[in-house]
Amino acid sequence: MEPVHLLIAIIIVAFAASPLPLLLQRCGRGYAALAAALVMAACLTVLAPLVAPVMGGTTLLASFAWLPDWGLALSFRLDGLSLMFSLLILGIGLLVTLYAYYYLPKHDTLGRFYTLLLLFMAAMLGVVLSENLLLLVVFWEITSLSSFLLISYKRESHESRLAARIAFAVTGGGGLALFAGVLLLGHIAGSFELTQVLAAGEHIRNHDLYAPMLILVLLGAFTKSAQFPFHFWLPQAMAAPTPVSAYLHSATMVKAGVFLLARLHPALAGSELWFWVVSGTGAITLVYAAYIAFYRYDFKGLLAYSTISHLGLITLLFGLDTRLSAVAGVFHIINHAIFKASLFMAAGIVDHECGTRDMRRVNGLFKFMPVTATLAIVAAGSMAGVPLLNGFLSKEMFFAETVGHPVFDEMRWLLPAFATLAGILAVGYSARFIHDVFFNGEPIDLPRQPHEPPRWMRAPVEVLVVLCLLVGIFPQWSIAPILHVAASAVLQQELPAFHLAVWHGFNAPFLMSLVALGGGITLYALRHPLYAFYERLPSVHASIVFERFHNGLAGFSAALVNRLDNASLQRYLALFFTFVLALGGWAWFSAPASPLPVVTQPADAASIVALLMLALAAAGVVVLHRQRLAAIVFASVIGLIVALTFVRFSAPDLALTQLAVEVVSIVLLLLALHYLPPASPAEDSMQRIMRDAALASAAGVGLGAAAYAMLTSPFETISNFYLAQSVPGGGGSNAVNVILVDFRGFDTLGEITVLAMVGLAAHALLDKLILQAPTHDADGRLWARERHPLFLQMLMRPLLPLALMVSVFIFLRGHNLPGGGFVAGLVTGVALILQYLASGIGFAAARLPQRLPLFLAAGLAAAAGIGALSWLFGFPFLTTAHGHITLPLIGEIELASALVFDLGVYLVVVSVVLMVLAELGKLSLYHEEKT
Amino acid sequence: MSFLSTLFPAYAEIFLLVMVSAILIVDLFLTNPNKTVTYALVQLTLLGCSMITVSTHQHGVVYLFHNMFVDDLMSDVLKMLSYLSVSMMLVYSRNYLMVRGLFTGEFMALTLFALLGMMVMISASHFLTLYLGLELLSLSLYAMVALQRDSAIATEAAMKYFILGALASGLLLYGMSMFYGATGTLEVAAVSDAITHGVPNKALLVFGLVFVVSGLAFKLGAVPFHMWVPDVYHGAPTAMTMLIGTAPKLAAFAFVMRILVEGLQPLMVHWSGMLVILAVLSIAVGNITAIAQTNLKRMLAYSTISHMGFLLLGVLSGGIDGYGAAMFYAAVYVLMSLGGFGMIMLLSREGFEADTLNDYKGLNQRSPWLAFVMLLLMFSMAGVPPMVGFYAKFSVLSAVVNAGHIPLAVIAVLFSLIGAFYYLRIVKLMYFDAPESHVPISIQPDSGLLISMNGLAVLALGIMPGTFMSVCAVAVQQSLLLH
Repeated sequence: MEPVHLLIAIIIVAFAASPLPLLLQRCGRGYAALAAALVMAACLTVLAPLVAPVMGGTTLLASFAWLPDWGLALSFRLDGLSLMFSLLILGIGLLVTLYAYYYLPKHDTLGRFYTLLLLFMAAMLGVVLSENLLLLVVFWEITSLSSFLLISYKRESHESRLAARIAFAVTGGGGLALFAGVLLLGHIAGSFELTQVLAAGEHIRNHDLYAPMLILVLLGAFTKSAQFPFHFWLPQAMAAPTPVSAYLHSATMVKAGVFLLARLHPALAGSELWFWVVSGTGAITLVYAAYIAFYRYDFKGLLAYSTISHLGLITLLFGLDTRLSAVAGVFHIINHAIFKASLFMAAGIVDHECGTRDMRRVNGLFKFMPVTATLAIVAAGSMAGVPLLNGFLSKEMFFAETVGHPVFDEMRWLLPAFATLAGILAVGYSARFIHDVFFNGEPIDLPRQPHEPPRWMRAPVEVLVVLCLLVGIFPQWSIAPILHVAASAVLQQELPAFHLAVWHGFNAPFLMSLVALGGGITLYALRHPLYAFYERLPSVHASIVFERFHNGLAGFSAALVNRLDNASLQRYLALFFTFVLALGGWAWFSAPASPLPVVTQPADAASIVALLMLALAAAGVVVLHRQRLAAIVFASVIGLIVALTFVRFSAPDLALTQLAVEVVSIVLLLLALHYLPPASPAEDSMQRIMRDAALASAAGVGLGAAAYAMLTSPFETISNFYLAQSVPGGGGSNAVNVILVDFRGFDTLGEITVLAMVGLAAHALLDKLILQAPTHDADGRLWARERHPLFLQMLMRPLLPLALMVSVFIFLRGHNLPGGGFVAGLVTGVALILQYLASGIGFAAARLPQRLPLFLAAGLAAAAGIGALSWLFGFPFLTTAHGHITLPLIGEIELASALVFDLGVYLVVVSVVLMVLAELGKLSLYHEEKT
Repeated sequence: MSFLSTLFPAYAEIFLLVMVSAILIVDLFLTNPNKTVTYALVQLTLLGCSMITVSTHQHGVVYLFHNMFVDDLMSDVLKMLSYLSVSMMLVYSRNYLMVRGLFTGEFMALTLFALLGMMVMISASHFLTLYLGLELLSLSLYAMVALQRDSAIATEAAMKYFILGALASGLLLYGMSMFYGATGTLEVAAVSDAITHGVPNKALLVFGLVFVVSGLAFKLGAVPFHMWVPDVYHGAPTAMTMLIGTAPKLAAFAFVMRILVEGLQPLMVHWSGMLVILAVLSIAVGNITAIAQTNLKRMLAYSTISHMGFLLLGVLSGGIDGYGAAMFYAAVYVLMSLGGFGMIMLLSREGFEADTLNDYKGLNQRSPWLAFVMLLLMFSMAGVPPMVGFYAKFSVLSAVVNAGHIPLAVIAVLFSLIGAFYYLRIVKLMYFDAPESHVPISIQPDSGLLISMNGLAVLALGIMPGTFMSVCAVAVQQSLLLH
């Protein structure tokens, strides 16, 4: 197999095999652990053949197109840095697997634990092996996710659930910031492939977007690596089982942030901004966390803060941005991973054996577990920077870099002093860890009797401590080769000359180390007054801050919901109109100037009076809308004036129709009104009425203005076309009617269909409905006993034939003069309504056809049928044919096939009116029978 | 007949119309209360539609009915997704509705009419056709929300939806009429040409744009025209909520594309500014208000609002990138919503809606598999990789960045972070809290299988998003008349 394929095989094996422990846990917890170990070993085996070429200085690249259009490729990279990290991840992973088997309680079947651990490991390998930055972000988020699940492994504990949420919120959020930053970086560099990005450093640093991009990327790195002020999630995350703390929260995951700094070093470092932000954050974190660590009495918390402090140290090294400082940073990543993982495991053993982590109670354990104690003391010594241990070497390099850093020319003592202070604190908390836990008198009231752990539980610690010593004593022989390739992968150029040795002579760094050791021990000696002082300081607990932020956000959200979404339609409508008005106003003021308006007709006095009446009547409807009768009267005034307006502008057809419609609808409304209370209750507050009035006026003015602007802009009218085509095309000189039944016959067909549906709906809704009609009016007076005055009956009966004749007349002349099927139908309807009103439903129903829906169907069928007929002659639907006949008395009639269509319209209109009327009438019939 | 054969691009719509009329009549004569035959007919109709759409696909853009109707790759893809979505919705909701006595012929007929409306919207290339499709869809939906007549909350929701929806339709129509006044045409392509060549009355264009965009924003449910969304999502029976929350968003996307991108491309400087405001407000308000919700349907409503904001971000970025991303986003959103609402219906039973957050407490103990599927869906909605929701956000954001709207991308990411919060809360409830109810969960085999496939699809598409993303990009590229 090609080496590059092996690279992808690692990731695939790691992900695909992660469910194995879950599947094997049925066979026993040992199998789950074995499966996890085997998967890690398999990954190591796959990696093995690739080690040699990478150590020789080549960078292996493997790439598969995934989303080429979006710049996302499945491309992986193995260089020195990735190799170093992969070895750390897999090596410490193996040790943690062994350790966890003994650490976790016996009743735990471990399947879920190891699966999550493998998932994390796979994602972490993905992060360090990604060549594509977007791919890196994807894996990055999976590490946050699996960390979330691992921290909350002890589900029943509230503390671990809260910790898991805080950790995910911070690191997941940082991941999103990183995502945005990487999008920008790809945008700047023109590619998401690391090779291109790393080569474009000069271009990136000079780009306008460099600063925002850098801040976003650093947010991602700092949250993951728990840098101040995002450090608070890490101590919380100590709620996780100790193997998880050892693996994720000291050795690997938290290193992803500094890994990113190392990875992107050639592309991003080298600017003022980088120096100040990265080294500033690193320095603050270094000292602040070390200071806090010194005061922890929970030894796992102490280790957590020390981890933060060491991560700050690494960040500071990358920020200092001399080439040698980057080498030191890489070196310290390895050293810290080794000694801190062993310390966590040792701490876990102590916790496991004693049942508590409180250093005020856990004392004098050296007597009970001498081997573990010795191991922990060596590892802690490395943490403190004691010579002959690996921590000492990288700390020396760090001290050397602070001495004579070029930036602080005026105050060149500042940086070394700061570094020494951090060193003193580190020695202090290491001394506290060693002395408090293993010496310092007798244990106080421990839940369990401590003793040495099982042989194999201690083995991982032993391995790591041996590594501490090996690196510390023989650096040139043990660690130098991998450090060389890793550091050159970071710098992407020739490494500066450096020499790893225990003894560099009596120089400034060594002096600083001595001061740190001495100072640290002095600090520890003075601890009691310092603790007392610390206790008096106000303490800020991160989880409280987080909860407060959480609650604040929820409160803000609830407030916003109350404002916007209170389930009130009135509120919604008010908001709706406000925004439409705002947008309309914006358009009004931003719109370009209109061309010259067209000349408008002068207004005559009659029109103005009519308009004023229209406005008054409209206002009347609004003001009196609760008194239903009065509102209807005003509404009919509006209808009347509209009809008059049609007359004024020479549209007799429309006026006729409008009048007839007015009559029919008022009568039907009155019939319905009989069953409703005469007035509706007032529910709105004055404030709301004022608000609505203001909104309505503004909307009205706006709409009026828009209509005015529209009507006064020049336009071309299409009326001339219809006037010219009416006689030759439709055989009628009444253009309105010809449009209705011919030019736009399809429209009319649709309209009468709707009308027919309305009739049917009224039939369906009102049929068999029983309503209690009121016997009194609002003032308590009885309705008249005599419902059908004789006078009215006598007057109406002779009117019927006359009205029918008028409607036939209007129908027939319709094609040439004002009239037509629709108006004729309405006139017939009015005539029949009058009979109902005058003589009562019983009289009318007995004399009218019972099966009105049939008439409805017939009307529709006639209209549609005559339209379809034209298909037979090869014309499109609803084509008209026309000719002339002469009838006595009436004269010449233009007989068009549209006449049949019009007849259909007529039938539909009449039957709908009658159906609604009959149904409403039946309601009253019910009462007539009862009384 | 040669006339009929020229109609081939619209065969799917014609077939659907014929079938829905037939189903309406056939259903009258069926007495089985389970409506098995009607249901089978409806599913067969959907299958038939998809076969027709596939077989009538033509390379390039085909116009019909005097340029009122267009058939292109984008419309075909969107229609296929709509069929799938409606079909899935019917599977999910069958049992839910049957228990509540709502699984009636009217329900299915209205569903199909709504689908017809969507198809018309998707294939419209004329303002009137667009409007007709929209109204057919909206009217069907109003009626469906009100279908549960004995539920006060559903009736109230229907009333609000109708009143506000009618107002929005009015605005839209008003805006369209202004474009007609300014350009003298209603054909999408012709409007674009006319504006490019200059119209005498520019003020009319700006006014028309304001009203059209407001109407569109309402239909999408973008802030500040979003008020109906939570009430309707919450009030309607979950099956109807699912219908409203899924396929119509594809149609709405097509609607935005046809009007703003194809018709009003020359005015992009104006409308993209308006979309920026709508998108930012939607993402901000949607994500923040979702936190305070205790009802899952309401929470998903606010999440929809923020998702629509993201969709608008894609549109306003412009270019094949942006439109392709928006289309992908819409499709992914539909897939996730189907799963989310499907889960609510799956867990509900007679007299129990499973729509409050507390109903999800301890789901992991009651049904680990369903909890896992829900976890996939929630993570996908939150945009956590490797779920497909991440790639949807990613494609939109990369389009936004490439269009140079850096602050927009940052704002969107920030609010997505807040958004992740409430999805995560569901996961927390399912996995960490103790269940409040111990009623065994009974699942119909068909919907149980579907929800599993739905959840796994979210994961599988997340692992292999490439094909589908390029389908969207190619569809947009082949279909748009970009000048």
